[in-house]
Amino acid sequence: MEQEHVEQAVDAHAAGEHVSSGFPPFNQIDTFPSQIFWLVVTFGLLYLVSTYWLIPKVSKAIADRDNAIAKDVADAAALSAKADASVKAFEARIAEARARARETAGKAKSEADKKIAAETAKVEADLAARLTAAETRIADVRTKAMANVSTVAEDTAGAIAEKLSGLKADPGAVKKAVAEVMRG
Amino acid sequence: MMQVATDPMHQFLVTRWLHLDVAGVDISFTNSAFFMVLGVLLIIGFFAWALARPETVPSRKQSLAEIWYGFVAGIVKDVNHADGKPFVPLVFTIFSFIFVANILGMLPNAFTSTSHIVVTGTMAVFTFLLVVVIGVWKNGFKFLKVFVPSGVPWYILWFVVIIEVFSFLSRPLSLGMRLFANMLGGHVALKVFAGFVPQLIVGLGFVGGLMAALLVMPLVIGVTALELLVAFLQAYVFAILTCVYLNDALHPGGH
Repeated sequence: MEQEHVEQAVDAHAAGEHVSSGFPPFNQIDTFPSQIFWLVVTFGLLYLVSTYWLIPKVSKAIADRDNAIAKDVADAAALSAKADASVKAFEARIAEARARARETAGKAKSEADKKIAAETAKVEADLAARLTAAETRIADVRTKAMANVSTVAEDTAGAIAEKLSGLKADPGAVKKAVAEVMRG
Repeated sequence: MMQVATDPMHQFLVTRWLHLDVAGVDISFTNSAFFMVLGVLLIIGFFAWALARPETVPSRKQSLAEIWYGFVAGIVKDVNHADGKPFVPLVFTIFSFIFVANILGMLPNAFTSTSHIVVTGTMAVFTFLLVVVIGVWKNGFKFLKVFVPSGVPWYILWFVVIIEVFSFLSRPLSLGMRLFANMLGGHVALKVFAGFVPQLIVGLGFVGGLMAALLVMPLVIGVTALELLVAFLQAYVFAILTCVYLNDALHPGGH
């Protein structure tokens, strides 16, 4: 009962207000020129504004960002390269300093060695000279002593012979005998 | 008595808001015209607002504008490669115009400009003529190669050419019809399902009708979500098909 009522109401509603409704996209042909006109105007406006304002603006924003990123990356790469170069330069300088230090140490060592060798040679030469002098003197003293020995021996032998025999020994014979004994 | 408006076609009625007559041609400002103007102003306004002060790290609105543009530029780049660059503004306009008109049509009591065959058809015919003009202008007589696919044996080639001619000529029809029919059909379905709710309440009494309406309402929400998807998808389809057709104009016989 109520259902029927509603359907009637709906029908009345449709009939009363939308007689021309039907299928508007096809039967409102009288509005086609207006629709086409406003489509062309609005579409054309959007096309022109997009082409000359919106798209350049968006493209520029995107391009600016891309450029900024590219620039930052390039800057970072440059800085990194610079840092690498600095490290390399630093290492080279350290190596150079080390080499120089080694060279200096080596030079000092060789100089010291030379000095030591020279000093040693000098000292050794001195010692050798002194040794030679001492040996000469010893030999001299010894010769002299040996000469004294034969004199002492001759005197002693002469004295012994005189004491034993009571005779005065011939000095020449004694000398000869002593020399014979000492040689033998 | 409760008024229940259930005529699903009512929403497609074009009504004149301002009578205009130029040289005997009726160019009245209608609800359809209003929503086209509104859509275009919204697009321009949004982009102007979003890009008022462009930043390297974009704000949300700027991001959205860039994604919008990048999406269209991406379609053109994918389909037309480097040749497509001059057509980016056109495809951008087509996509944005249709997309915003479709979305505005989803608002209650709004008019969907793209639900009329004369609007979608005009756009389709424009695209078609543009393809023909650019094709002939760029390739001259060689544009006819678009009807002659390469690598087809001669004994079936004549038949393929006939098919190609018909498929080429039916492009504006299918292009315009697809968008119009999707918008019209979707809105009719939406209206019919949504109309069930008050009808059920009135018809089955308040309690029973409310229970039934609660069952229908999720369906209406689902259809609404689907229609939002279709609103985007049809704009996308129109844009990508424009690119594909333009590709024929630039490289006839390349398919």
